[in-house]
Amino acid sequence: MTLARTAAVPTLDPGIAWDALVIGGGATGAGLLRDLARRGMRTLLVDRSDLGTGTSGRYHGLLHSGGRYVARDRDAARECIVENRIVRRIASFAVEDTGGYFVATPDDPDDYVDAFPALCAASDVDCEEVDVTEVLRRNPTLNPRIRRAFAVPDAAVEPWALIEGNVADAAELGSLALPYHRVVGFDRSGERLLAARVADVRSGTEYRVMAGQVVSAAGAWGGQVAALAGAKLTMAPGKGTMLVFNQRMTDAVINRCHMASDGDIMVPVGTVAILGTTDIHVADPDHWQITRAEVDELLDEGEKLFPQLRRMRLLRAYGGVRPLYDPSETGTESREVTRAHVVLDHAPRDGISNFTSIVGGKLTTYRLMAQDTADAVARKAGVTERATTAQEPVPDPHGDGKGRYHWLGGRLAAHEADGGGDAALLCECELVTRSQLEEVLDRRWPCSLDDVRRLTRLGMGPCQGGFCTFRAAGAVADHAARATSDPIAIGDMTEQAMADFLRERQRGTQPIAHGRQLQEAVMTAGFHWGTLGLGSLVGTSPGSDAQR
Amino acid sequence: MPSADVAVIGAGLAGLLTAVRLAENGARVVVLSEGNGALHWAGGPIDLGFRPGARTAAAVVGQLARRRAHPYAVLGADVAPALDWFQRLTGDLGLPHAGSLSGGFGALPTGIGGIRPVSIVPEAQAATLQPWAPGERLVIAGHAGYKDFWPRAVASSLARPEVWGGFSRPDRVVGVALDWPGLRERRNLNALRIAEHFDDPDWRAAALDVTARGVASTGSGPVRVGLPAVLGLRDHPRVLEDAIQRFGAPVIELPLVPPGIPGIRLHDVLRAKLRALGGRILIGERVARVEVTEATVTAVATEAATREVLTRVGALVLATGGVAGGGLVGDPDGAIREMVLGLPTDGPPIERWLHGDPLNPASLPIAGAGIRTDEALRPVDPRRPARGPLFGNVRVVGSLLAGQQWMIDRSGDGVALASAWRAAASLAGTTASATRSSRTTEAVR
Repeated sequence: MTLARTAAVPTLDPGIAWDALVIGGGATGAGLLRDLARRGMRTLLVDRSDLGTGTSGRYHGLLHSGGRYVARDRDAARECIVENRIVRRIASFAVEDTGGYFVATPDDPDDYVDAFPALCAASDVDCEEVDVTEVLRRNPTLNPRIRRAFAVPDAAVEPWALIEGNVADAAELGSLALPYHRVVGFDRSGERLLAARVADVRSGTEYRVMAGQVVSAAGAWGGQVAALAGAKLTMAPGKGTMLVFNQRMTDAVINRCHMASDGDIMVPVGTVAILGTTDIHVADPDHWQITRAEVDELLDEGEKLFPQLRRMRLLRAYGGVRPLYDPSETGTESREVTRAHVVLDHAPRDGISNFTSIVGGKLTTYRLMAQDTADAVARKAGVTERATTAQEPVPDPHGDGKGRYHWLGGRLAAHEADGGGDAALLCECELVTRSQLEEVLDRRWPCSLDDVRRLTRLGMGPCQGGFCTFRAAGAVADHAARATSDPIAIGDMTEQAMADFLRERQRGTQPIAHGRQLQEAVMTAGFHWGTLGLGSLVGTSPGSDAQR
Repeated sequence: MPSADVAVIGAGLAGLLTAVRLAENGARVVVLSEGNGALHWAGGPIDLGFRPGARTAAAVVGQLARRRAHPYAVLGADVAPALDWFQRLTGDLGLPHAGSLSGGFGALPTGIGGIRPVSIVPEAQAATLQPWAPGERLVIAGHAGYKDFWPRAVASSLARPEVWGGFSRPDRVVGVALDWPGLRERRNLNALRIAEHFDDPDWRAAALDVTARGVASTGSGPVRVGLPAVLGLRDHPRVLEDAIQRFGAPVIELPLVPPGIPGIRLHDVLRAKLRALGGRILIGERVARVEVTEATVTAVATEAATREVLTRVGALVLATGGVAGGGLVGDPDGAIREMVLGLPTDGPPIERWLHGDPLNPASLPIAGAGIRTDEALRPVDPRRPARGPLFGNVRVVGSLLAGQQWMIDRSGDGVALASAWRAAASLAGTTASATRSSRTTEAVR
């Protein structure tokens, strides 16, 4: 497998005065970086963590056809289908064209099912009723009592490749994305933000970044960023919980044909399938938990689509926080809060002339969100260039130019090409080799094993890092030894990498474990704490990101 | 129909020891196991019990025995005689274990650069029971490119005094990554392949030469050599002797991510011993159902491929392990099922199966789930223990016994030894039953 060709993480030159600063490295921020760069604005993007680690990297992987919104929010549905077609065209490398179905289970009301084709037509969402026996034949684990099925152009989209591609395009034009750089404050003079104070979270070094325009694309964290600038913005973050199954029980996206709700969508993503989702208001996007009760509710609903769901192996649960925005800003707690995006100009709101926030929205419409925001920012900056992002293709960061249809033997074929049985496999579950890991470390150092995971799928299989963590930590130690000969520093760095990764991986198992996955968790913990004496290393370590 | 005086289900430490002990006492024993058993995951040490600050394993065993919920409450007194027997047995089998209940703890470095407290260890780890001398260094040596052992990473981690947690420790830790002969092109090496290489005298001599030069390059003075636990499988005693002689220094085998070569060695010699005593051991045999007459197990049906084999038995020993071993299964509805007889289990509610910071061994209360028994290790209903045993001729041994937090109290092997000893004693004189009429219990799958 060829990995991204972007250069090593660059460092910040404090001498540069940027045309714009984008805060938040999710899909929207990356799209905005690209859009502004293409309008000739030299832009810097910063994120407190790695790119795509917030909501963009923690959703179910669906490229919406719009079918889920046709009844509740016709405008959102229309936006989805338009952007769906654009993303397929400009970033085909990130899209697996699985197609999707809306299926009528015995629990779904007849009147909704009957109205569905017309609702789709009214929003321009392509929809065609198909032979239900054929759908059941192709997806034998589906509920055999499903009575009707409608095909829609749903797809799976890989967020990290999409983000990397957008960033790479902007980089060609002199713009820059810096992970692990957190905005800690602003210098303000009257109505203008003069500079942002940005801290490199790994070295602790603080920089002053001069920028003409400041844009917050911090999503659910938008309120926190606004507060740093002295502006007031109340988000209504909604946590969505998703369950990862160790198999693709379907090769197409499957939706319930009813008013969209919890646990009613299954998305095949790479080697796994993801059941989504819940929607629970949370006060703080960094502090929340996933409970067994929530998992049970998801499974109860999911069983209406796949009756054998509880017998299929669950790998983990994870959650993402939707950047929902209630225009009344009253802190509402409802699924009814709009999914639409809003560009907020902080000049009239808060008396800050060069500060803009983008809130709400969803990954499918990331490009449109970026375009609408860039329109507003360009207007403020007196830039007249128009957006070109709907026409110009995003460069493929993986560079292999191949379509991204998942096939069962794909990873094995890539592994064979990399030396096959002779390649040192560090992660047997996901076929990640030593050379792949070292390539990422070379390119992204210093980085966490979780960053490595997003690029390689390290630790994402059944053992959830139980074996490969220690091997990867060994490679981290060898890498750290290039920069320092102090064994204590190397030991500390290696231990931190190990602890962070194990904690992050295993936390996902806790609310879902039963059957084989429970056995795996206890067996793995047994040799960690027993055989390998893990307690002497991490037993009391506080953990650097305990709640993410 | 084949028959056995006792059928033991499970081929981990507890199952094999129970079978060997019974066979020594003259019983006709058959061991039935779905897989190879948990010893294939073991790194060498025999854990009898530990807690920070404890001076001897005996003290910890005594403390745990005073906890009503711990298996030692029933078995504590058997730990000493069982250990004595185990050490004589393994010594006779060429795999002697050093240490004692009252001899104190040492710190065994591990393949991830941590340490684990040990009191009973195989010969290849015995040096860890001796305190380190002033100026003595530990050289961590291994093959560069072997994914389960990164010598420099291990040494860097062990160079930090706090990792040793107050135990005696070396003055200095140095890592050397070597080029063991002929392995460079074999990138996907595993412990078994390297152990088999060490069994070959010529390869071994060359690899030990390379290693000795690597050790010498780290300086002079007193030294111990830490190597990955791959020093031979069949010829391990010879490999160890050669290594010590070649280095002129004590050797320490560091436990690795599974498979665990030291555990496989123990499994192999116990299995050979059982066969020598006339016992049978069948790996790959899944128990499909059990026949029961009036609270007595009369026969066990196993499945291998498509064939079912019914074995008439006089008694049944459950050594199937807890949740980790597959003897218990946690269902999505919160039930914890025992897989052979459907015995009632004792364990935490589902919300607490895995709970709290995952980087704390206390986050796995489910590991303590298991079966409650009477003093003879016959299963009882945990909610109605006073009603007595549910089956007269069934014994429960090893980690299937409820109430062990073995990741925290490190008593797992001690429970295996003592319960094997107790079960074998209480089944003395059992013979295959002649009962014909019986009720069948499907194995709970």
